[in-house]
Amino acid sequence: MTEDAGRLAAFDARIAAGEKIEPGDWMPDEYRRQLIRMISQHAHSEVVGMLPEGGWITMAPSLRRKLVLLAKVQDEAGHGQYLYHAAETLGVSREEMLEALLQGKAKYSSIFNYPATSWADMGVIGWFVDGAAILNQTMLARCSYGPYARAMIRICAEESFHYKQGMEIVLTLSQGTPAQRTMVQDAVRRWWWPTLMMFGPHDAESPNTPTLVRWGIKTRTNDELRQEFVNQTVPDAHTMGLSLPDPELRFDAASGNWRFGEIDWDEFWRVVHGDGPCNRERLEARRAAHDDGLWVRQALEAYAART
Amino acid sequence: MSDTQWPRYEVFQQETPDRPHRHAGSVHAPDAEIALLNGRDVFVRRPECSSLWVAPAGAISRATAEEITGGALEMDSTTGEAVDYLVFAKLDARGMLTHLGQVRATSKVQALQEAARACGPQTPFVLWVVPAAQLTRSEPDQAEPLFAPALDKPYRDQAFYHIQTALRRLRQEAGD
Amino acid sequence: MNPGLRASLADVLLALADDELILAHRDSEWTGHAPILEEDIAFANIALDELGHAGLWYRLVADLRGEDAERYPDRLVFHRPAGAFRNVRLVEQPKGDWAFTVLRQFLFDSAEQVRLKALADHPQASVAHTAAKILTEERYHLRHLQAWVTRLALGTPESGRRMQAALDQLWPLARQLFQPLSGEAILVEAGAWPASSALATQWQAAAMDFLIECGLTIPGQILPDESGRQIHSAHLEPLLSEMQSVARLEPQGEW
Repeated sequence: MTEDAGRLAAFDARIAAGEKIEPGDWMPDEYRRQLIRMISQHAHSEVVGMLPEGGWITMAPSLRRKLVLLAKVQDEAGHGQYLYHAAETLGVSREEMLEALLQGKAKYSSIFNYPATSWADMGVIGWFVDGAAILNQTMLARCSYGPYARAMIRICAEESFHYKQGMEIVLTLSQGTPAQRTMVQDAVRRWWWPTLMMFGPHDAESPNTPTLVRWGIKTRTNDELRQEFVNQTVPDAHTMGLSLPDPELRFDAASGNWRFGEIDWDEFWRVVHGDGPCNRERLEARRAAHDDGLWVRQALEAYAART
Repeated sequence: MSDTQWPRYEVFQQETPDRPHRHAGSVHAPDAEIALLNGRDVFVRRPECSSLWVAPAGAISRATAEEITGGALEMDSTTGEAVDYLVFAKLDARGMLTHLGQVRATSKVQALQEAARACGPQTPFVLWVVPAAQLTRSEPDQAEPLFAPALDKPYRDQAFYHIQTALRRLRQEAGD
Repeated sequence: MNPGLRASLADVLLALADDELILAHRDSEWTGHAPILEEDIAFANIALDELGHAGLWYRLVADLRGEDAERYPDRLVFHRPAGAFRNVRLVEQPKGDWAFTVLRQFLFDSAEQVRLKALADHPQASVAHTAAKILTEERYHLRHLQAWVTRLALGTPESGRRMQAALDQLWPLARQLFQPLSGEAILVEAGAWPASSALATQWQAAAMDFLIECGLTIPGQILPDESGRQIHSAHLEPLLSEMQSVARLEPQGEW
């Protein structure tokens, strides 16, 4: 079925005028399809992202850290919730989205396929991963689809706390005992490149980008965001006496950018395609939670049906 | 029995008693009580909130500006008992669906028509109506246990963390 | 308050704090594994509240013992051996299935309500104030847990069966909540603590009524385990071993 060229032109004009597209508005099939893909992936990422950090709540080394980490992981569940809602407004059900995730058919951010092997990882994840997420999410808060933009605004407001609590842990450890400094330096070494990979392939290899830009979903490119992340993070690492695992990292005064080395794209694609260190473990955990929870979901529905 | 994620309930949040409720998002819940409790846990983790409403997504009738102006809301001649409908509208391009008031109507479509008329000369971007009987409100005498605890968790507020101060001190110590 | 009373008050508040801490720890094990996303959020809220309560009581203990309110709580939590903890055995039990967790939380929260209401007019202002603050959050917990216990008990045959199995296991353990706390006697005499036995009757009557209305059977009278709060099940040591593992890497360090 061909879409009416007139409707498409009117739609493009609405986007160009900065109007928000709301549920129920006419939209091209491709717009709907891209958004469902993006938003559901984003939602899955938040939910899977609870796992590497959730496992460390029981080992948080002070009451304050325990409280803060638990609050952070709770936020991530909340973010997943807001995002599933935004996707649902486009006509896909949460059952369908979860089915796709648990069958290994849906993607989520590859960063969560890496293991969190020490307490210091909690700090570095907040600093790097949430730092990167904030850049991406700030951009998405201006996107053309109303429910997604509004979800992102809520998320951005909460994400700042995630970044700062992470930095607080890193600051404490980097200025701590030799063992603590070693722990956090090792975490930095393990999370740096996966974080840079979060921004996706180089612009030239990013097939979805032009469409997303045209329709006001994406307003900055992968490489732009990645460069901004590097520029904002490297000086703070140096201030804290931490080194980054990139021998090619150097400041280019002319551009004001920190130049960095090439990402290992083989690793990137391996992990994206399911062969990362924790892909299987993450999905198994989600499947187990889902399967173990079946009797609970059914019990509450049965009760509601009777009253 | 099939496995579902429970029905959706739309959630409306009022920040302070002098402002109207606004649409916050939705929660999945098996019934209205759990929807209210879930709505509170999902949307009131940070202040402020003075009241929460929930309604099954299936009970809400919706219309876009295009449908209102394009005549998609046809004349509805069904007669029945007139009931109250709550009206929510998005009146500005960047705004959220906000509670405007109520209308009385004998059908969903008539409620939408009445609501559109009540918006005056400006066509809302989005219009929702829901039968008042299908909307569950948080009880005023429950406001304290529902909403006050969020105020006691300052560690969730990014202002609680003084990162820039700490980094500045480190740079000074290093003589940067 | 004379030193003897202060010391006893600190001891009983420590028991309350330990209860909240260990229960919060068990609750937090569900994050990322709850039956539905909304419950991940809801149960994390309960765990956060309980942890907060633990913190409040630990601070009072610090004040009463003349210790640093900023540092002493962490020393209590991360550097005491299992034998020094004063929580009930109810909260040490592994989280079990969702029915076990929900019912345990209900029994604990309903008991806490009874005790907090009695503490809300304690002669020591800091105790009364803390109790009142905690009570606000507990009113919400009870609403949440009552809704869940009802729905699970009366939902499907399977959920009902699981709830009954949970009650059979938890009811004998719950009785320890109102066994007189060590040090309680002189406090009660001085009007500085509500007698646990009176609270026990009040709590038990209300809890039984509610559970029976949910179609559950209260387990028959068995000889309760009267051993005090200094006796722990085999579950506490591994729990603390995990909880304290990172902090003990650098016992004097900042984390």
